[in-house]
Amino acid sequence: MSTQKKPLSDKARAVGERIGSLRDFLEFLEENGQCITWTDEILPEPDVRNIAVAAGRDSMNGPAVIFNNITGYPGKKLVLGVHGSFTNLALLLGHPKGTTIKELFYDIISRWGDDKPLLDFIEPDAAPVNENRLSDNFNLYDLLPLYRINEYDGGFYIGKANVVSRDPRDPDNFGKQNVGIYRIQVQAPGEFTLLSVPAHDMGRHIMAAEQDNVPLKIAVMLGNHPAMCMFAATPVGYDESEFSYASQMMGSPLRLTKSNNGMDILADSEMVIEAELMNGVRSFEGPFGEFPGSYSGVRKIPRFKVTAISHRNDPIFENIYIGRGWTEHDTLIGLNTSAPIYAQLTKDFPEVVAVNALYQHGLTGIISVKNRFAGFAKSVAMRALGTPHGTMYLKNLIMVDDDVDPFDLNEVMWALSTRTRAEDTIVIPNMPMIPIDPAAEIAGKGHRLIIDATSFMPPDKLGSDSKIVTPPAGPEIDEIAKLIQLLQNGGQS
Amino acid sequence: MNTCPRCQAAEEKIRAEHKGLNAQGELVWTIFHCNACEFTWRDSEPASTIDYNKREAFFRVDPEKPYPVIMPPAQYK
Repeated sequence: MSTQKKPLSDKARAVGERIGSLRDFLEFLEENGQCITWTDEILPEPDVRNIAVAAGRDSMNGPAVIFNNITGYPGKKLVLGVHGSFTNLALLLGHPKGTTIKELFYDIISRWGDDKPLLDFIEPDAAPVNENRLSDNFNLYDLLPLYRINEYDGGFYIGKANVVSRDPRDPDNFGKQNVGIYRIQVQAPGEFTLLSVPAHDMGRHIMAAEQDNVPLKIAVMLGNHPAMCMFAATPVGYDESEFSYASQMMGSPLRLTKSNNGMDILADSEMVIEAELMNGVRSFEGPFGEFPGSYSGVRKIPRFKVTAISHRNDPIFENIYIGRGWTEHDTLIGLNTSAPIYAQLTKDFPEVVAVNALYQHGLTGIISVKNRFAGFAKSVAMRALGTPHGTMYLKNLIMVDDDVDPFDLNEVMWALSTRTRAEDTIVIPNMPMIPIDPAAEIAGKGHRLIIDATSFMPPDKLGSDSKIVTPPAGPEIDEIAKLIQLLQNGGQS
Repeated sequence: MNTCPRCQAAEEKIRAEHKGLNAQGELVWTIFHCNACEFTWRDSEPASTIDYNKREAFFRVDPEKPYPVIMPPAQYK
Protein backbone atom coordinates (compact mmCIF):
# COMPACT_ATOMS: atom_id res chain seq x y z
CA MET A 1 0.00 0.00 0.00
CA SER A 2 1.46 3.37 -0.89
CA THR A 3 0.34 6.95 -1.28
CA GLN A 4 1.48 9.87 -3.43
CA LYS A 5 5.25 9.98 -3.04
CA LYS A 6 7.32 13.12 -2.84
CA PRO A 7 11.12 13.22 -2.91
CA LEU A 8 12.67 13.74 0.53
CA SER A 9 14.16 17.12 1.36
CA ASP A 10 17.95 17.36 1.62
CA LYS A 11 17.63 17.79 5.37
CA ALA A 12 15.42 14.70 5.72
CA ARG A 13 17.86 12.70 3.62
CA ALA A 14 20.81 13.86 5.74
CA VAL A 15 19.03 12.93 8.99
CA GLY A 16 18.06 9.54 7.52
CA GLU A 17 21.67 8.85 6.63
CA ARG A 18 22.96 9.96 10.02
CA ILE A 19 20.56 7.93 12.18
CA GLY A 20 21.22 4.21 12.07
CA SER A 21 20.37 3.31 15.65
CA LEU A 22 18.85 4.41 18.94
CA ARG A 23 22.27 5.76 20.04
CA ASP A 24 22.56 7.96 16.96
CA PHE A 25 19.08 9.34 17.56
CA LEU A 26 19.69 10.09 21.25
CA GLU A 27 22.82 12.02 20.31
CA PHE A 28 20.85 13.94 17.68
CA LEU A 29 18.03 14.71 20.14
CA GLU A 30 20.56 15.90 22.71
CA GLU A 31 22.14 18.31 20.20
CA ASN A 32 18.69 19.73 19.62
CA GLY A 33 17.79 20.10 23.30
CA GLN A 34 15.35 17.16 23.16
CA CYS A 35 17.13 14.64 25.38
CA ILE A 36 18.14 15.10 29.01
CA THR A 37 20.06 12.87 31.42
CA TRP A 38 18.74 12.32 34.96
CA THR A 39 21.92 11.89 37.00
CA ASP A 40 20.50 12.04 40.56
CA GLU A 41 20.10 8.66 42.21
CA ILE A 42 16.53 7.37 41.98
CA LEU A 43 14.64 4.28 43.10
CA PRO A 44 13.18 2.06 40.37
CA GLU A 45 9.75 2.58 41.98
CA PRO A 46 8.10 5.02 42.13
CA ASP A 47 10.72 7.48 40.84
CA VAL A 48 11.04 6.26 37.25
CA ARG A 49 7.25 6.40 36.84
CA ASN A 50 6.97 9.86 38.40
CA ILE A 51 9.69 11.37 36.21
CA ALA A 52 8.35 9.69 33.05
CA VAL A 53 4.85 11.06 33.62
CA ALA A 54 6.12 14.57 34.32
CA ALA A 55 8.37 14.57 31.23
CA GLY A 56 5.51 13.29 29.10
CA ARG A 57 3.12 16.11 29.94
CA ASP A 58 4.31 18.24 27.06
CA SER A 59 3.25 16.21 24.04
CA MET A 60 4.62 18.82 21.62
CA ASN A 61 8.09 19.43 23.07
CA GLY A 62 8.83 16.97 25.90
CA PRO A 63 12.34 15.48 25.91
CA ALA A 64 13.59 11.90 26.02
CA VAL A 65 15.01 11.14 29.48
CA ILE A 66 18.08 8.97 30.07
CA PHE A 67 18.47 7.52 33.59
CA ASN A 68 21.98 6.44 34.56
CA ASN A 69 21.81 6.26 38.36
CA ILE A 70 19.06 3.84 39.40
CA THR A 71 19.46 2.26 42.84
CA GLY A 72 20.52 -1.36 42.51
CA TYR A 73 21.45 -1.00 38.86
CA PRO A 74 24.89 0.63 38.91
CA GLY A 75 26.23 1.32 35.43
CA LYS A 76 22.91 0.49 33.75
CA LYS A 77 21.11 2.92 31.47
CA LEU A 78 17.39 3.34 30.84
CA VAL A 79 15.75 5.72 28.37
CA LEU A 80 12.11 6.78 28.20
CA GLY A 81 10.20 9.21 26.00
CA VAL A 82 12.30 8.76 22.85
CA HIS A 83 9.04 9.10 20.86
CA GLY A 84 7.39 11.13 23.60
CA SER A 85 6.79 14.36 21.71
CA PHE A 86 5.90 15.48 18.22
CA THR A 87 9.06 17.56 18.13
CA ASN A 88 11.12 14.39 18.60
CA LEU A 89 9.27 12.86 15.64
CA ALA A 90 9.76 16.07 13.64
CA LEU A 91 13.53 15.91 14.20
CA LEU A 92 13.57 12.25 13.13
CA LEU A 93 11.90 13.23 9.85
CA GLY A 94 14.32 16.10 9.24
CA HIS A 95 12.05 18.97 10.29
CA PRO A 96 12.79 21.87 12.60
CA LYS A 97 11.26 22.38 16.02
CA GLY A 98 7.89 24.09 15.70
CA THR A 99 6.66 21.78 12.93
CA THR A 100 2.91 21.24 13.30
CA ILE A 101 1.24 17.85 13.70
CA LYS A 102 -0.61 18.41 10.44
CA GLU A 103 2.67 19.01 8.60
CA LEU A 104 4.08 15.79 10.07
CA PHE A 105 0.95 13.91 9.00
CA TYR A 106 1.31 15.01 5.38
CA ASP A 107 5.03 14.23 5.42
CA ILE A 108 4.42 10.69 6.69
CA ILE A 109 1.70 10.23 4.06
CA SER A 110 4.17 11.23 1.34
CA ARG A 111 6.66 8.59 2.53
CA TRP A 112 4.12 5.85 3.22
CA GLY A 113 4.55 2.42 1.67
CA ASP A 114 6.78 -0.61 1.25
CA ASP A 115 7.30 -0.53 -2.50
CA LYS A 116 10.86 0.83 -2.27
CA PRO A 117 12.49 -1.00 0.64
CA LEU A 118 16.07 -0.01 1.47
CA LEU A 119 17.63 -2.88 3.38
CA ASP A 120 21.30 -3.76 3.80
CA PHE A 121 22.16 -7.22 5.09
CA ILE A 122 25.37 -7.62 7.08
CA GLU A 123 27.09 -10.68 8.53
CA PRO A 124 26.21 -11.45 12.17
CA ASP A 125 29.89 -11.19 13.21
CA ALA A 126 29.98 -7.59 12.01
CA ALA A 127 26.76 -6.57 13.76
CA PRO A 128 27.15 -4.32 16.84
CA VAL A 129 24.24 -6.14 18.52
CA ASN A 130 26.49 -9.22 18.69
CA GLU A 131 29.32 -7.51 20.58
CA ASN A 132 28.33 -9.65 23.58
CA ARG A 133 26.57 -12.99 23.48
CA LEU A 134 25.10 -15.11 26.28
CA SER A 135 24.01 -18.68 25.76
CA ASP A 136 23.03 -19.72 29.30
CA ASN A 137 22.45 -18.47 32.88
CA PHE A 138 20.11 -15.76 31.66
CA ASN A 139 18.99 -13.15 34.16
CA LEU A 140 16.78 -10.45 32.69
CA TYR A 141 16.48 -8.83 36.14
CA ASP A 142 20.21 -8.25 36.10
CA LEU A 143 20.72 -7.36 32.42
CA LEU A 144 17.93 -4.76 32.28
CA PRO A 145 17.02 -2.07 34.82
CA LEU A 146 13.47 -3.41 35.16
CA TYR A 147 10.78 -1.64 37.18
CA ARG A 148 7.01 -1.51 37.63
CA ILE A 149 5.50 0.90 35.09
CA ASN A 150 2.16 1.49 36.89
CA GLU A 151 1.57 0.76 40.56
CA TYR A 152 -0.87 -2.15 40.11
CA ASP A 153 0.86 -3.83 37.17
CA GLY A 154 1.33 -7.54 37.84
CA GLY A 155 5.09 -7.32 37.46
CA PHE A 156 7.92 -5.70 35.55
CA TYR A 157 7.13 -5.05 31.94
CA ILE A 158 9.14 -4.55 28.79
CA GLY A 159 6.76 -2.25 26.95
CA LYS A 160 8.59 -1.18 23.81
CA ALA A 161 10.27 -4.30 22.44
CA ASN A 162 9.98 -4.99 18.72
CA VAL A 163 9.30 -8.70 18.44
CA VAL A 164 10.19 -10.62 15.26
CA SER A 165 8.47 -13.90 14.45
CA ARG A 166 8.03 -15.96 11.30
CA ASP A 167 4.91 -17.69 10.05
CA PRO A 168 5.58 -21.36 11.00
CA ARG A 169 3.66 -22.42 7.88
CA ASP A 170 5.63 -20.15 5.54
CA PRO A 171 8.92 -19.60 7.38
CA ASP A 172 10.90 -18.30 4.40
CA ASN A 173 8.44 -15.55 3.50
CA PHE A 174 10.11 -12.22 4.34
CA GLY A 175 6.84 -10.26 4.14
CA LYS A 176 4.95 -12.59 6.49
CA GLN A 177 7.75 -12.31 9.01
CA ASN A 178 6.20 -9.98 11.55
CA VAL A 179 7.67 -7.21 13.66
CA GLY A 180 5.30 -6.05 16.37
CA ILE A 181 5.21 -4.42 19.80
CA TYR A 182 3.66 -6.76 22.35
CA ARG A 183 3.71 -6.26 26.08
CA ILE A 184 6.17 -8.56 27.79
CA GLN A 185 6.05 -9.42 31.50
CA VAL A 186 9.21 -10.92 32.94
CA GLN A 187 8.11 -14.06 34.83
CA ALA A 188 11.46 -15.58 35.80
CA PRO A 189 15.13 -14.72 35.17
CA GLY A 190 14.94 -16.48 31.79
CA GLU A 191 11.20 -16.60 31.02
CA PHE A 192 8.49 -14.14 30.08
CA THR A 193 4.90 -13.96 28.97
CA LEU A 194 3.96 -12.08 25.80
CA LEU A 195 0.44 -10.88 25.10
CA SER A 196 -0.87 -11.34 21.60
CA VAL A 197 -4.39 -12.18 20.44
CA PRO A 198 -5.65 -14.05 17.35
CA ALA A 199 -6.25 -10.74 15.52
CA HIS A 200 -2.53 -9.90 15.75
CA ASP A 201 -0.05 -11.22 13.19
CA MET A 202 1.94 -12.79 16.00
CA GLY A 203 -1.22 -14.35 17.46
CA ARG A 204 -1.58 -16.17 14.16
CA HIS A 205 1.99 -17.43 14.43
CA ILE A 206 1.45 -18.70 18.01
CA MET A 207 -1.75 -20.53 17.08
CA ALA A 208 -0.20 -22.11 13.98
CA ALA A 209 2.85 -23.33 15.95
CA GLU A 210 0.71 -24.90 18.67
CA GLN A 211 -1.74 -26.47 16.21
CA ASP A 212 1.10 -28.07 14.24
CA ASN A 213 3.16 -28.67 17.41
CA VAL A 214 6.27 -27.08 15.93
CA PRO A 215 8.64 -24.68 17.71
CA LEU A 216 7.94 -20.96 17.43
CA LYS A 217 11.19 -19.04 17.67
CA ILE A 218 11.19 -15.30 18.16
CA ALA A 219 13.67 -12.45 18.48
CA VAL A 220 12.85 -9.66 20.93
CA MET A 221 14.66 -6.50 19.79
CA LEU A 222 15.27 -3.83 22.45
CA GLY A 223 16.57 -0.29 21.95
CA ASN A 224 15.91 -0.05 18.24
CA HIS A 225 16.17 2.34 15.34
CA PRO A 226 13.46 4.95 16.11
CA ALA A 227 11.66 4.35 12.79
CA MET A 228 11.35 0.63 13.56
CA CYS A 229 9.33 1.29 16.73
CA MET A 230 6.93 3.47 14.79
CA PHE A 231 6.20 0.71 12.28
CA ALA A 232 6.24 -2.22 14.68
CA ALA A 233 3.12 -0.60 16.15
CA THR A 234 1.52 0.12 12.78
CA PRO A 235 -1.15 -2.12 11.35
CA VAL A 236 0.37 -2.88 7.93
CA GLY A 237 -0.90 -5.79 5.81
CA TYR A 238 -0.16 -9.36 6.96
CA ASP A 239 2.23 -10.02 4.07
CA GLU A 240 3.90 -6.59 4.22
CA SER A 241 7.24 -6.10 5.97
CA GLU A 242 7.57 -3.57 8.77
CA PHE A 243 11.32 -3.42 7.99
CA SER A 244 10.49 -2.26 4.47
CA TYR A 245 8.07 0.42 5.67
CA ALA A 246 10.54 1.74 8.25
CA SER A 247 13.39 1.97 5.75
CA GLN A 248 11.22 3.68 3.17
CA MET A 249 10.06 6.24 5.70
CA MET A 250 13.67 7.14 6.53
CA GLY A 251 14.74 7.14 2.88
CA SER A 252 18.01 5.44 3.81
CA PRO A 253 18.94 1.80 4.38
CA LEU A 254 18.23 -0.09 7.59
CA ARG A 255 20.99 -2.55 8.50
CA LEU A 256 19.69 -6.06 9.09
CA THR A 257 21.43 -9.23 10.16
CA LYS A 258 20.34 -12.75 11.12
CA SER A 259 19.69 -13.81 14.68
CA ASN A 260 21.09 -17.19 15.65
CA ASN A 261 17.56 -18.61 15.62
CA GLY A 262 16.82 -17.51 12.07
CA MET A 263 15.04 -14.15 12.34
CA ASP A 264 15.98 -11.02 10.46
CA ILE A 265 16.93 -8.49 13.12
CA LEU A 266 18.28 -4.94 13.23
CA ALA A 267 22.08 -5.11 13.32
CA ASP A 268 22.35 -1.96 15.47
CA SER A 269 19.81 -2.66 18.22
CA GLU A 270 20.92 -2.47 21.84
CA MET A 271 19.87 -6.02 22.71
CA VAL A 272 18.19 -9.01 21.10
CA ILE A 273 16.63 -11.72 23.26
CA GLU A 274 16.11 -14.97 21.36
CA ALA A 275 13.30 -17.09 22.77
CA GLU A 276 11.01 -20.02 22.08
CA LEU A 277 7.30 -20.48 22.78
CA MET A 278 6.54 -23.02 25.53
CA ASN A 279 3.82 -24.79 23.55
CA GLY A 280 0.55 -25.19 25.41
CA VAL A 281 1.72 -23.34 28.56
CA ARG A 282 -0.39 -20.42 29.84
CA SER A 283 0.62 -18.27 32.83
CA PHE A 284 -1.03 -15.55 34.89
CA GLU A 285 -0.28 -12.16 33.38
CA GLY A 286 -1.37 -8.65 34.23
CA PRO A 287 -2.90 -6.40 35.23
CA PHE A 288 -1.16 -3.88 33.01
CA GLY A 289 -1.98 -0.17 32.67
CA GLU A 290 -2.95 0.01 29.01
CA PHE A 291 -3.38 2.74 26.42
CA PRO A 292 -7.06 3.50 27.12
CA GLY A 293 -5.81 4.65 30.53
CA SER A 294 -7.21 1.68 32.42
CA TYR A 295 -5.76 -1.60 33.62
CA SER A 296 -6.42 -4.69 31.58
CA GLY A 297 -7.09 -7.53 33.98
CA VAL A 298 -5.40 -10.78 34.90
CA ARG A 299 -5.37 -13.46 32.18
CA LYS A 300 -3.52 -16.65 31.39
CA ILE A 301 -1.36 -16.13 28.35
CA PRO A 302 1.45 -17.79 26.32
CA ARG A 303 4.91 -18.08 27.89
CA PHE A 304 8.37 -18.05 26.31
CA LYS A 305 11.79 -19.36 27.35
CA VAL A 306 14.94 -17.36 26.60
CA THR A 307 17.42 -19.32 24.45
CA ALA A 308 20.15 -16.70 23.86
CA ILE A 309 20.85 -12.99 24.40
CA SER A 310 23.02 -10.67 22.31
CA HIS A 311 23.79 -7.10 23.29
CA ARG A 312 25.98 -4.14 22.53
CA ASN A 313 28.57 -2.94 25.00
CA ASP A 314 26.82 -0.95 27.77
CA PRO A 315 23.34 -1.55 26.35
CA ILE A 316 20.65 1.09 26.82
CA PHE A 317 17.27 -0.27 27.92
CA GLU A 318 14.56 1.65 26.06
CA ASN A 319 11.12 1.47 27.62
CA ILE A 320 7.87 3.45 27.54
CA TYR A 321 5.45 5.00 30.01
CA ILE A 322 1.92 3.98 29.09
CA GLY A 323 -1.32 4.58 30.97
CA ARG A 324 -3.82 7.39 31.12
CA GLY A 325 -3.02 9.76 28.26
CA TRP A 326 -1.31 11.74 27.06
CA THR A 327 1.61 9.28 27.06
CA GLU A 328 4.48 8.34 24.79
CA HIS A 329 2.30 5.56 23.41
CA ASP A 330 -0.04 8.15 21.87
CA THR A 331 2.78 10.04 20.16
CA LEU A 332 4.58 6.88 19.09
CA ILE A 333 1.70 5.38 17.16
CA GLY A 334 -0.73 8.26 16.56
CA LEU A 335 0.40 9.41 13.13
CA ASN A 336 1.12 5.87 11.97
CA THR A 337 -2.40 4.90 13.01
CA SER A 338 -3.85 7.83 11.07
CA ALA A 339 -1.85 7.27 7.87
CA PRO A 340 -3.19 3.84 6.79
CA ILE A 341 -6.80 4.90 7.47
CA TYR A 342 -6.19 7.94 5.25
CA ALA A 343 -4.55 5.80 2.54
CA GLN A 344 -7.44 3.33 2.55
CA LEU A 345 -10.16 6.01 2.57
CA THR A 346 -8.71 8.13 -0.22
CA LYS A 347 -8.73 5.12 -2.57
CA ASP A 348 -12.53 5.35 -2.67
CA PHE A 349 -13.04 8.93 -1.51
CA PRO A 350 -10.40 11.37 -2.75
CA GLU A 351 -12.43 14.06 -0.97
CA VAL A 352 -10.86 12.96 2.34
CA VAL A 353 -8.34 15.65 3.34
CA ALA A 354 -6.81 14.36 6.57
CA VAL A 355 -7.36 11.78 9.32
CA ASN A 356 -6.55 12.42 12.97
CA ALA A 357 -6.65 9.11 14.86
CA LEU A 358 -4.17 10.22 17.54
CA TYR A 359 -6.40 9.58 20.51
CA GLN A 360 -5.93 6.27 22.31
CA HIS A 361 -4.92 4.39 19.17
CA GLY A 362 -7.92 5.81 17.30
CA LEU A 363 -10.70 5.18 19.80
CA THR A 364 -11.68 8.69 18.79
CA GLY A 365 -10.96 9.82 15.25
CA ILE A 366 -11.52 13.10 13.45
CA ILE A 367 -11.80 13.04 9.66
CA SER A 368 -11.73 16.11 7.49
CA VAL A 369 -13.59 15.66 4.20
CA LYS A 370 -14.82 17.83 1.35
CA ASN A 371 -18.57 17.34 1.51
CA ARG A 372 -20.09 16.57 -1.91
CA PHE A 373 -23.74 16.57 -0.89
CA ALA A 374 -25.84 16.37 2.25
CA GLY A 375 -25.01 13.28 4.26
CA PHE A 376 -21.86 12.47 2.27
CA ALA A 377 -19.60 12.68 5.33
CA LYS A 378 -21.69 10.02 7.06
CA SER A 379 -21.05 7.62 4.16
CA VAL A 380 -17.32 8.30 4.46
CA ALA A 381 -17.57 7.63 8.20
CA MET A 382 -19.20 4.25 7.50
CA ARG A 383 -16.35 3.41 5.10
CA ALA A 384 -13.83 4.37 7.82
CA LEU A 385 -15.50 1.89 10.18
CA GLY A 386 -14.88 -0.78 7.54
CA THR A 387 -11.12 -0.21 7.29
CA PRO A 388 -8.97 -2.85 9.01
CA HIS A 389 -8.13 -0.56 11.93
CA GLY A 390 -11.61 0.99 12.00
CA THR A 391 -13.25 -2.39 12.46
CA MET A 392 -11.97 -2.67 16.03
CA TYR A 393 -10.79 0.77 17.08
CA LEU A 394 -12.67 3.72 15.55
CA LYS A 395 -15.32 4.02 18.24
CA ASN A 396 -16.12 7.74 18.08
CA LEU A 397 -15.84 9.52 14.75
CA ILE A 398 -16.14 13.25 14.27
CA MET A 399 -16.52 14.33 10.65
CA VAL A 400 -15.46 17.89 9.79
CA ASP A 401 -15.26 19.90 6.59
CA ASP A 402 -12.14 20.37 4.52
CA ASP A 403 -11.73 23.90 5.94
CA VAL A 404 -11.25 22.48 9.45
CA ASP A 405 -7.82 21.20 10.54
CA PRO A 406 -8.66 17.94 12.34
CA PHE A 407 -5.40 18.22 14.33
CA ASP A 408 -6.44 21.61 15.77
CA LEU A 409 -8.98 20.84 18.48
CA ASN A 410 -10.07 24.51 18.69
CA GLU A 411 -11.18 24.27 15.08
CA VAL A 412 -12.85 20.91 15.66
CA MET A 413 -14.79 22.35 18.61
CA TRP A 414 -15.86 25.25 16.41
CA ALA A 415 -17.25 22.81 13.86
CA LEU A 416 -19.03 20.89 16.61
CA SER A 417 -20.49 24.11 18.00
CA THR A 418 -21.73 25.56 14.73
CA ARG A 419 -22.29 22.73 12.28
CA THR A 420 -23.76 19.90 14.32
CA ARG A 421 -27.44 19.18 14.66
CA ALA A 422 -28.35 16.61 17.28
CA GLU A 423 -29.90 14.58 14.46
CA ASP A 424 -26.49 14.43 12.76
CA THR A 425 -25.42 11.98 15.42
CA ILE A 426 -25.54 8.26 14.68
CA VAL A 427 -25.20 5.49 17.24
CA ILE A 428 -24.51 2.03 15.86
CA PRO A 429 -25.19 -0.48 18.60
CA ASN A 430 -23.48 -3.78 19.33
CA MET A 431 -20.40 -3.39 17.21
CA PRO A 432 -17.01 -5.08 17.67
CA MET A 433 -14.71 -3.28 20.08
CA ILE A 434 -11.28 -3.82 21.49
CA PRO A 435 -11.65 -5.93 24.64
CA ILE A 436 -9.68 -3.49 26.83
CA ASP A 437 -11.92 -0.50 26.13
CA PRO A 438 -13.32 0.40 29.56
CA ALA A 439 -16.48 1.74 27.86
CA ALA A 440 -17.39 -1.59 26.25
CA GLU A 441 -20.83 -3.04 27.01
CA ILE A 442 -19.16 -6.37 27.44
CA ALA A 443 -15.48 -6.95 26.66
CA GLY A 444 -15.15 -6.96 22.89
CA LYS A 445 -18.55 -5.46 22.06
CA GLY A 446 -20.05 -1.98 22.29
CA HIS A 447 -21.54 0.96 20.46
CA ARG A 448 -20.12 3.28 17.85
CA LEU A 449 -20.76 7.00 17.54
CA ILE A 450 -20.58 9.17 14.44
CA ILE A 451 -20.95 12.93 14.81
CA ASP A 452 -21.37 14.68 11.48
CA ALA A 453 -20.02 18.19 12.10
CA THR A 454 -19.76 19.10 8.43
CA SER A 455 -21.69 22.05 7.00
CA PHE A 456 -25.09 21.85 5.40
CA MET A 457 -25.25 20.99 1.70
CA PRO A 458 -28.12 20.77 -0.76
CA PRO A 459 -30.75 19.39 -0.51
CA ASP A 460 -30.29 20.52 3.10
CA LYS A 461 -32.07 23.79 3.77
CA LEU A 462 -31.00 24.36 7.34
CA GLY A 463 -28.46 27.07 7.91
CA SER A 464 -28.53 28.24 4.32
CA ASP A 465 -28.89 31.90 5.33
CA SER A 466 -25.75 31.98 7.41
CA LYS A 467 -22.47 32.89 5.84
CA ILE A 468 -19.16 31.83 7.33
CA VAL A 469 -16.50 34.42 8.03
CA THR A 470 -13.40 33.47 6.08
CA PRO A 471 -10.40 34.71 8.02
CA PRO A 472 -7.10 34.64 6.11
CA ALA A 473 -5.69 31.11 6.05
CA GLY A 474 -3.16 28.98 4.18
CA PRO A 475 0.62 28.60 3.97
CA GLU A 476 1.23 32.35 4.10
CA ILE A 477 -0.58 32.70 7.45
CA ASP A 478 1.10 29.53 8.75
CA GLU A 479 4.47 31.13 8.00
CA ILE A 480 3.50 34.35 9.78
CA ALA A 481 2.38 32.32 12.83
CA LYS A 482 5.77 30.60 12.91
CA LEU A 483 7.57 33.91 12.56
CA ILE A 484 5.63 35.30 15.51
CA GLN A 485 6.65 32.27 17.55
CA LEU A 486 10.26 32.85 16.53
CA LEU A 487 10.11 36.52 17.50
CA GLN A 488 8.54 35.58 20.82
CA ASN A 489 11.40 33.18 21.51
CA GLY A 490 13.97 35.89 20.85
CA GLY A 491 14.89 34.53 17.43
CA GLN A 492 15.46 30.98 18.73
CA SER A 493 13.30 28.24 17.24
CA MET B 1 6.75 -13.86 57.24
CA ASN B 2 7.05 -13.06 53.56
CA THR B 3 3.70 -13.77 51.87
CA CYS B 4 2.47 -12.67 48.46
CA PRO B 5 1.17 -9.06 48.55
CA ARG B 6 -1.44 -9.92 45.92
CA CYS B 7 -2.80 -13.40 46.73
CA GLN B 8 -1.39 -13.99 50.23
CA ALA B 9 0.25 -17.26 49.17
CA ALA B 10 2.47 -18.69 51.89
CA GLU B 11 6.21 -18.22 52.07
CA GLU B 12 7.04 -21.57 50.44
CA LYS B 13 5.40 -20.34 47.22
CA ILE B 14 7.62 -17.24 47.10
CA ARG B 15 10.83 -17.24 45.07
CA ALA B 16 13.64 -14.74 45.62
CA GLU B 17 14.53 -13.81 42.04
CA HIS B 18 17.33 -11.32 42.14
CA LYS B 19 19.29 -9.19 44.59
CA GLY B 20 20.09 -5.60 43.63
CA LEU B 21 23.49 -4.37 44.77
CA ASN B 22 24.90 -0.87 44.81
CA ALA B 23 28.28 0.08 43.34
CA GLN B 24 29.93 -0.94 46.64
CA GLY B 25 28.38 -4.40 46.40
CA GLU B 26 25.90 -3.83 49.25
CA LEU B 27 22.38 -5.28 49.06
CA VAL B 28 19.81 -2.54 48.33
CA TRP B 29 16.71 -4.54 47.38
CA THR B 30 15.45 -8.01 46.47
CA ILE B 31 12.98 -9.01 43.76
CA PHE B 32 10.44 -11.72 44.69
CA HIS B 33 8.03 -13.76 42.58
CA CYS B 34 4.93 -15.66 43.66
CA ASN B 35 4.60 -19.12 42.10
CA ALA B 36 0.87 -19.15 42.83
CA CYS B 37 -0.32 -15.94 41.10
CA GLU B 38 2.88 -14.92 39.22
CA PHE B 39 3.08 -11.54 40.94
CA THR B 40 6.56 -9.97 40.91
CA TRP B 41 7.69 -7.28 43.33
CA ARG B 42 10.69 -5.55 44.81
CA ASP B 43 10.90 -5.08 48.55
CA SER B 44 11.82 -1.39 48.14
CA GLU B 45 8.49 -0.51 46.48
CA PRO B 46 5.87 1.75 48.11
CA ALA B 47 3.51 -0.02 50.54
CA SER B 48 0.57 0.77 48.24
CA THR B 49 2.02 -1.82 45.86
CA ILE B 50 3.56 -4.46 48.14
CA ASP B 51 1.47 -4.41 51.35
CA TYR B 52 -1.59 -6.68 51.03
CA ASN B 53 -3.65 -4.50 53.36
CA LYS B 54 -2.72 -1.22 51.72
CA ARG B 55 -3.27 -2.39 48.14
CA GLU B 56 -6.64 -1.68 46.54
CA ALA B 57 -8.76 -4.77 47.14
CA PHE B 58 -9.88 -4.69 43.50
CA PHE B 59 -6.44 -5.93 42.46
CA ARG B 60 -6.37 -9.02 44.66
CA VAL B 61 -5.99 -12.32 42.82
CA ASP B 62 -7.29 -15.72 43.83
CA PRO B 63 -5.27 -18.24 41.81
CA GLU B 64 -7.93 -20.89 42.41
CA LYS B 65 -10.53 -18.90 40.49
CA PRO B 66 -10.87 -19.26 36.72
CA TYR B 67 -9.30 -16.43 34.72
CA PRO B 68 -9.69 -15.83 30.97
CA VAL B 69 -7.24 -17.84 28.89
CA ILE B 70 -5.82 -16.18 25.78
CA MET B 71 -5.83 -18.54 22.78
CA PRO B 72 -6.68 -21.58 24.93
CA PRO B 73 -4.55 -24.46 23.63
CA ALA B 74 -7.49 -26.86 24.10
CA GLN B 75 -9.39 -25.15 21.28
CA TYR B 76 -7.12 -26.75 18.70
CA LYS B 77 -8.07 -30.31 19.57
